[in-house]
Amino acid sequence: MLFMRLELKGITKRFGSFTANDAIDLVVEPGEIHCLLGENGAGKSTLMNVLFGLYSADGGEILVNGEPVHFATSGDAVRKGIGMVHQHFMLVPVFTVAENVMLGFEPTKSFNRIDYETASAKIRKFSEEFGLEVNPDAVVEDLPVGIQQRVEILKALSQEAELLILDEPTAVLTPQEIESLIKIMKGLAASGKSILFISHKLKEVRAVADKITVIRLGKVVGTGLPTDSEEELASKMVGRSVNLQVEKGPHNPGAPVLEVKDLVVRDERGVAVVNNISFTVNRGEVLAVAGVQGNGQSELVEAIAGLRGVESGSISINGIRVDNATPRECLDAGLAHIPEDRQRDGLVLSLSVADNLVLNTPRAPQFAGRGSRKLAAVKENADKLVKDFDIRTESVNAPVGSLSGGNQQKVIVARELSRNVDVLIAAQPTRGLDVGSIEYVHKQFIRERDNNKAVLLVSSELDEVFALADRIAVMFQGTITGIVSPQSTRESIGLLMAGITEQSND
Amino acid sequence: MTTVTTPTENVRRDTPVGRTRVIGGIMIAMAIFILWIFAFGASAKATSIITFNPLNTSGGAPWSLGNLTLPSRISTLILGLIALGAGLETMIRIPARRVMARFGFVSVLFLLGLFVWTVRSGGPSPTNFMDVTDVLVNASGITMVLIYGSMAGIMCERAGVVNIAIEGQFLGGAFVGAIVASSTNSFVLATVAGAVVGALLGWVLAFFAIRYRSDQVIVGVVLVTMIGSLTNFLNLTFLTPYQQYNTGVTPSSIPIPLLDKIPVVGPLLFNQNMFFYLMYLLVGAMSFGLFKTKWGLRVRAVGEHPQAAASVGIRVKGVRYFNTILGGAIGGVGGVAFIALHGQFNPGFTSGLGYIALAALIFGRWRPSGAVVASIIFGLTSMLASGLQSFNVPVSSEILGMFPYIITIAVVSGLIGRVRAPAADGIPYKQD
Amino acid sequence: MTDAKPTLWQRYLSANPVTISFLAILLGFVVGALVIIFSSADVMHAWTQIFNSPGGIFHALKVSLDNVGAAYRAMFTGSVVDPTIFWHALTTGQGWNAALTPLSETLTYAAPLAIISIGVAISFETGLFNIGANGQAILGGIAGTAFGSMINLPMYIHLPLTLLCGVAAGAFFGLIPGVLKALTGAHEVIVTLMLNYVVAFFLLYSLLSTPLQLPGQANDLSRVILPSAQLPTFFSTATTLRVNWGILIAIAVVAFGWWFLNRSTMGFDFRVTGANPNAARASGINPKKVIIYVFLISGGLAGLAGVVQVDGTTHALDGGFLIGSAGIGFTAITVSLLGRNKPINVFWGAILFSALGVGGRIMQAETGIPLDLATIIQSAVVLFVATPVLVQEIFRLREGNLHTIQLNTKGWGT
Repeated sequence: MLFMRLELKGITKRFGSFTANDAIDLVVEPGEIHCLLGENGAGKSTLMNVLFGLYSADGGEILVNGEPVHFATSGDAVRKGIGMVHQHFMLVPVFTVAENVMLGFEPTKSFNRIDYETASAKIRKFSEEFGLEVNPDAVVEDLPVGIQQRVEILKALSQEAELLILDEPTAVLTPQEIESLIKIMKGLAASGKSILFISHKLKEVRAVADKITVIRLGKVVGTGLPTDSEEELASKMVGRSVNLQVEKGPHNPGAPVLEVKDLVVRDERGVAVVNNISFTVNRGEVLAVAGVQGNGQSELVEAIAGLRGVESGSISINGIRVDNATPRECLDAGLAHIPEDRQRDGLVLSLSVADNLVLNTPRAPQFAGRGSRKLAAVKENADKLVKDFDIRTESVNAPVGSLSGGNQQKVIVARELSRNVDVLIAAQPTRGLDVGSIEYVHKQFIRERDNNKAVLLVSSELDEVFALADRIAVMFQGTITGIVSPQSTRESIGLLMAGITEQSND
Repeated sequence: MTTVTTPTENVRRDTPVGRTRVIGGIMIAMAIFILWIFAFGASAKATSIITFNPLNTSGGAPWSLGNLTLPSRISTLILGLIALGAGLETMIRIPARRVMARFGFVSVLFLLGLFVWTVRSGGPSPTNFMDVTDVLVNASGITMVLIYGSMAGIMCERAGVVNIAIEGQFLGGAFVGAIVASSTNSFVLATVAGAVVGALLGWVLAFFAIRYRSDQVIVGVVLVTMIGSLTNFLNLTFLTPYQQYNTGVTPSSIPIPLLDKIPVVGPLLFNQNMFFYLMYLLVGAMSFGLFKTKWGLRVRAVGEHPQAAASVGIRVKGVRYFNTILGGAIGGVGGVAFIALHGQFNPGFTSGLGYIALAALIFGRWRPSGAVVASIIFGLTSMLASGLQSFNVPVSSEILGMFPYIITIAVVSGLIGRVRAPAADGIPYKQD
Repeated sequence: MTDAKPTLWQRYLSANPVTISFLAILLGFVVGALVIIFSSADVMHAWTQIFNSPGGIFHALKVSLDNVGAAYRAMFTGSVVDPTIFWHALTTGQGWNAALTPLSETLTYAAPLAIISIGVAISFETGLFNIGANGQAILGGIAGTAFGSMINLPMYIHLPLTLLCGVAAGAFFGLIPGVLKALTGAHEVIVTLMLNYVVAFFLLYSLLSTPLQLPGQANDLSRVILPSAQLPTFFSTATTLRVNWGILIAIAVVAFGWWFLNRSTMGFDFRVTGANPNAARASGINPKKVIIYVFLISGGLAGLAGVVQVDGTTHALDGGFLIGSAGIGFTAITVSLLGRNKPINVFWGAILFSALGVGGRIMQAETGIPLDLATIIQSAVVLFVATPVLVQEIFRLREGNLHTIQLNTKGWGT
């Protein structure tokens, strides 16, 4: 079967009383790159899961080349020629590339033995045909993220997909890797494959799309073309005019607060994920660490927050050494930490909003005495913070898991900023948030900076970095390849993110 | 600009540095024990005799090997010094690989030293010789049951279901196996019965774990308690009044001609009962199945990353049900194997062997080959407890009885280190 | 979404935790009834005859109900009260001793059970599974008996110190899996299960090969705890009413448990660790400290339970102390799961399951049905409590908020 025309008619999906998709219509022609644009929480992933057979729709139908189809499992969708490259890769880390690609469609010899030779040969064939270089015998968890994504794509292609769904594929790629992904996508489209590309990143959507469908709060609110301006698309996406800039005072850096010198951090397998890094964050400034995830940023943040040990080098906050200190010591030294994975490290979902707001200071004298907690004081604190930070919740005693993603992040921000801190570290703070929450969080960071605090922002979103940073440090494979001003071009930062410094000649 | 320095050492270690030092330290402690207690605990003139011909020659004797008479003190001294050397090497050089193999080596030296010292002439032992073949054959029974248990566990856990109820599957299989064997005198039928009961228990575990996503540890512990109480209950109401259902019959050994004549190895591996041979098939089939076949790849995918497996159309719940039921059946057969060893059913007589099997499979890194090695180690230590009593070792029998459990604890905490279970092991699978 | 707020009755009929607990107990007794039916020769015979006569099925049902009824009636009269004896006491003013004995026995055994269950509940709230509680209780009993029987002191020091010995022994024994887990990541389930077997051997060893053995005989019996270390009873020792100060200690422990989990800062740390160990660590809680403290407290309480058990009942140990179906460790798991780790619920649950055990012994004496039935019923109750969705389906309850128990003991390494 070659060339697929996909049509979604009136797809509706509900979770209890919440309607994630509301009568969605969508058409993808063969050879077309069709982008589904929407902010976080708009319902894009839900729609894709319906299309890929992981969810069952409550209403509407799917038509492949004019024929209605029904997918009970992903296997059905795959058999009909739909392949998906997930945002969180569906790869088994301990398997090889070959094992992952052939999973579910394994070639066998006698006695049900897997025919590794045939599988490898098939992979090499597809690899060459579509320009996706991989080593079939490499173990997936040892591969860099960009290569893992290629394996995902290869997996879909080797199952003879005619329509490829790519769910937020660029989140984990450097600008160069994004360019090469765009090239691969255009090549696939030229050979007749249809591509459904899901994203909330305006620049990439405009760079690659043939047609754009904008989705907001579960409904299709309009279509667009790559020639539309960013502001036009953004306001369709969010429903109001969006100011993509943030108001900032002048850059007046004060004394150094956070000093990192010659830091080396090794992971469980002995690899130096932070390899000799030095930088300083001063009062009244935002230092943004830019770089694609997986280059040591997470480990750097963990080391500063006391969650990871350091092999050599030093970290000081206000002159106090905190390398290899406990998280408690780091917090007490004046650190505020907004963790990358808010639900895993930042909140206890089953506890109340009030308890989460004092999660790292339960023993502070205002909240406890002689081993016993002062619950009235905790509630008072919660009431105040909910008001000050505009946290939308039924009550301060409601479990924090019942809040939306944006409000959950607000709880963490409120908690950290209400403490007396000198340096704030925020790791990927706006991931998965809607535009309104993103604006709010950015405002808070600038407020801290203007209040003479030091802010270390770790983000893989270049837009965010450019909007907030006073200085930008770029990380690549555990080292800082450059510290530049926010006036630099995206291209130059992209080069630094790929490890190309002024000194190297490659 | 900052310069990039090359990392100093990116060698992949099997065991982290700290733990290697600890293991080295333990090895040195063992070596000192050998030297102090065994070498200098024996008088200078004592001798120990190591024999190789089994005392029990029913079923044909293997080719005869002479006896080995050793001067007790000197031989243990040598063993101790070698062990000391190995321990120091581990502690100082901190090798990146094969740390566990070194530890195993020292353990073997320790065992040899123990044997030599136990049977030294002039010591409290009534006999002056230790028969290597007998020791190994005695240990092989427990080892066999442990292997069945760990295979049962691997079958479940590789698919992502924690099976703490192996002990319960042993008891259930043993109970039913005893009844069927006593009534029909056929251990083949008993095996079938045990497998059915074990499969049923596996199904219950799967039912609660998969369908209702209950905590698998709690369900497992509860199942063991329930089966323990149930078999105790039924033992009092049925087996005690009707003794003909619990006669204590055991299967006969099946010697393999020619191979069983090889000294030491022959009686150990080629002159055993049907369950032992069945065990070879089981381990072989599981190793092959899990790592070479399409079925095995899918099972492992389900255990590591069920979402990925589901996204290519694999039925995760189905795989987990199948494997847990099959694992339960293997556990049930293990229970019948235990009856083959013991004869009569006594409530609770498995004494935690199912849990030790669990430790063995963890120690063996969820691979059949590793679990076999671990089971051999645990089997030997279990045998030590009962075996040493007849040699009048100056330790009370209750203390000796604790040994297998203490060794298991030591292994689980000291030697295992950070292990990588199948990534989705024990995590209930949620799908829309 | 329903329009009006559900009425109280509707709330009870929905799948909320209270209803689930109640129904789980009910289902447990149903399972017990089935076991009685299928294991009784008479009943099975009656069922095989149901086609032989027109009233066959009724006869079979009658025989079944008779057997089950006799068993459960014996359980009730043995643990709570026998109505006829009670009525006799009320009307004649005599025979109070016989009338009140069942309740007294239940309370006597409820005390140690409540204490150990609070300890287990605290460990569950922290996401750890202290299956070794029984072993810790045994060790506590041994330590307490040793101190109480071999040292002579005036009562006001002797009794508290004896109890303290039990606490210390239990805490020490609980420290072993705690330290091992904190330092090496060893899985506490396997370690504690192994230790249970070790302690069983140690019990025999102490009763046969140490000075704890009752002099002048060769069986596995210990010396008797001196009167200065025994828990005083509320009624004269001439009666069979053994209920003693143990129940007061139990109430104090329950109060402590409530304060600890709901008001104390350490309890807060424990609950955070139980709910999300990663967030706990990131917020400054030291996970190793938490693990060690949990096992110390849980073990200490288990040890106290062991001492209270021996000191309030037999005043001496034998080789079967808390072994097998006499063990309170597993029952503690049932009680805390049923009470969802809330101390006040745990208290009532302890009384209920103590009744089950006490009544079970009377049932065994009167009807010959082995005491293991009580453990079987308990296991069934745990299974149902740990699987609220199943109970919901069986009784076709409406959606409520279900409290599923998930421990952090998944995964074998750390």
